[in-house]
Amino acid sequence: MDIVVCMKQMPDLQQIRIKDRKPILENVPLVWGDLDKNAIEEAALIKEKVGEAKITVVAKGSDKLQQGILEPLAMGADEAVLLTDPAFEGSDSMGTAKVLAKAIEKIGAYDLVILGEGSTDNYSGLVGSALAELLNLPEITYVRELNVENGKVTAVRNMEESFEVVEANLPVVITVAQEINEPRLPKFMAIRKAGAKPRHEWGPADIGLSADEVGENAASVDMLSNLAPEQDRKNIILEGDLDEKIDALVDALIKEGVLGR
Amino acid sequence: MEEEKVEVVIVGAGLAGLSAAYVLAQEGVDTVVVERGDYPGAKNVTGGRIYMYPVARYFPELWEDAPLERHVTRETLTMMAENCSTSITLDSDRFREEPYHSYTILRSKFDRWFGDKVMEAGAFVLPKSRADDVIMEDGRVAGIRMGDEDEIPADVVIAADGVLSLMAEKAGLRQAQQPKHFAVSVKEVIELPSKTIEDRFSLGPNEGTAQLFFGDLTKGMMGGGFLYTNINSISLGLVVGIESLMERDPKIEVHELIEDFKARPEIRNLIAGGEIVEYSAHVIPEGGVNAMPRLYSDGILVVGEAAGFGLNMLLTVRGMEFAVGSGVMAAETIMKARESKDYSAASLSYYEELVKESFIFKDLHSFRNVLSMLENPRLFNFYPQAVCDIFEKLMWIDENPKAKISSTVIREGISKFLNWSTIRDVAGMLRI
Repeated sequence: MDIVVCMKQMPDLQQIRIKDRKPILENVPLVWGDLDKNAIEEAALIKEKVGEAKITVVAKGSDKLQQGILEPLAMGADEAVLLTDPAFEGSDSMGTAKVLAKAIEKIGAYDLVILGEGSTDNYSGLVGSALAELLNLPEITYVRELNVENGKVTAVRNMEESFEVVEANLPVVITVAQEINEPRLPKFMAIRKAGAKPRHEWGPADIGLSADEVGENAASVDMLSNLAPEQDRKNIILEGDLDEKIDALVDALIKEGVLGR
Repeated sequence: MEEEKVEVVIVGAGLAGLSAAYVLAQEGVDTVVVERGDYPGAKNVTGGRIYMYPVARYFPELWEDAPLERHVTRETLTMMAENCSTSITLDSDRFREEPYHSYTILRSKFDRWFGDKVMEAGAFVLPKSRADDVIMEDGRVAGIRMGDEDEIPADVVIAADGVLSLMAEKAGLRQAQQPKHFAVSVKEVIELPSKTIEDRFSLGPNEGTAQLFFGDLTKGMMGGGFLYTNINSISLGLVVGIESLMERDPKIEVHELIEDFKARPEIRNLIAGGEIVEYSAHVIPEGGVNAMPRLYSDGILVVGEAAGFGLNMLLTVRGMEFAVGSGVMAAETIMKARESKDYSAASLSYYEELVKESFIFKDLHSFRNVLSMLENPRLFNFYPQAVCDIFEKLMWIDENPKAKISSTVIREGISKFLNWSTIRDVAGMLRI
């Protein structure tokens, strides 16, 4: 069985500082999206279950990927395709799906394509569906449980109010929800050995696209502004002894509508 | 790789650990650095300023494009009394000559960069990983454990895990610690435009100031404050002895001390309008040579602050140079031991020889009595107030006729400084 997992590195959201309402991305370490890790974990679990399987990770990001890719490789991927060419920068969701589709077509063998249901930074949730469309494959979204048997998948989808059980023939695109598994922490020796696994770097030409068909040039969505919400602090200092302060705090919270609704 | 083992595992990607790794990697030794933070430097709370002369001899090529902040051209010592302060400032052309004497440094930035250099040299830096224990095999250290599941077996371990070194403790190299050998430090990094910093501190481009404070800011407790100008931020903080804090009555919290310190007119105008971008606290060693653990055992070496290599010399505070030096010495020891693949205590004892012959041990030894002097509360309340009083009398003009300068100085000097306690203090000073 051939499994392709699509992943993306992004700035560690917990370390981004906001200044003048804009995020400061300089020097923020890159991490994998939370759901991307669920995606690779699920692939690794399937491989452990079915025995014979090859997992290829397709990852888009900066040249820092060379280091970062060790983590999914250590978690169980066999091979990695890195889309690090600067021409890919500034893609919108459709552009990302197009690049992934071309890369997956080039890989050629794919029974399962697994992604997170959304990325931790933009969370558009579009890439999985667009990719399925471009590859002309069925897609099952919001998957919280996945079973692969006899050329078929059975998936439980999280519909928030209910669970839906869906079956499909392979090949199929799956987007996973966070509750599907608990991503493993790769052990040191696995990380060390991951360095020896095959890695390929593909630019636009390698996947049959020209530089102006990808990245910012090809984006159909323009981001007009990306600002953090403004938040004024109340700067109230409560005076008095502890009991008085607690009473004053409760009063203030009721007045703000935080308590007693 | 044939066996599931590395040659050297270093715990802690600070200056000591990274320096050792850098040397070892360049020599082709299979080296892994394990770091608890998200990246090297993420957990660092150094003041800080690095003195270049002691470290320039080690990997000179590295320092050339290191992301240091400003070279220090002005040194100020401020004695703070309750409502006034007296400062002595040294501004010397010698500090403006290259190679510069010292630089301010932001370790979160520097260590991360150094970590990348170490990776480029061929060592592996593993962040977000905490070493919890050493692997013991036949009475020797044979690697480290991380959590319940993971471990890194190794020929030799370098404990570079800082002041409360768990590795040294687990390997049985450290005895129970005394509170008097430690202090707690809090630091804020306050961002301001570079031009504002240069204007406020009267600095040229890339020039920096280093200022140390003692006196009322620690409310009579052993300790002091520091201020360093970075490119576009100010590192401001204070250090206070843990024993003094424990004994103080009424109790006071360290964060209250720094708030009061920042509210002082001497400080508040310097940081006005700045944004606090980092707030951190850490334990720092003050024990000097008296609190050093054993530096080596079978399969393990201890470097940097883990080995107690930090020194408060009253006018200067040092640690980073010792970290770099001890890291390099540990690497040299391993290179020598590697020739015969003998990592026993006898073989690794070469490290202690290197340390004892070096500036590290000599400085720690020469300044071993500073601690007892710093325990003198008069240093933090009586002297700053007395000096302020004399200067204030000299400077003050009012409707009354002014006494002669000489008589003011003599009268005040005799009344304040000619008594048994001050003579004893001076005698104590002479031992440093």
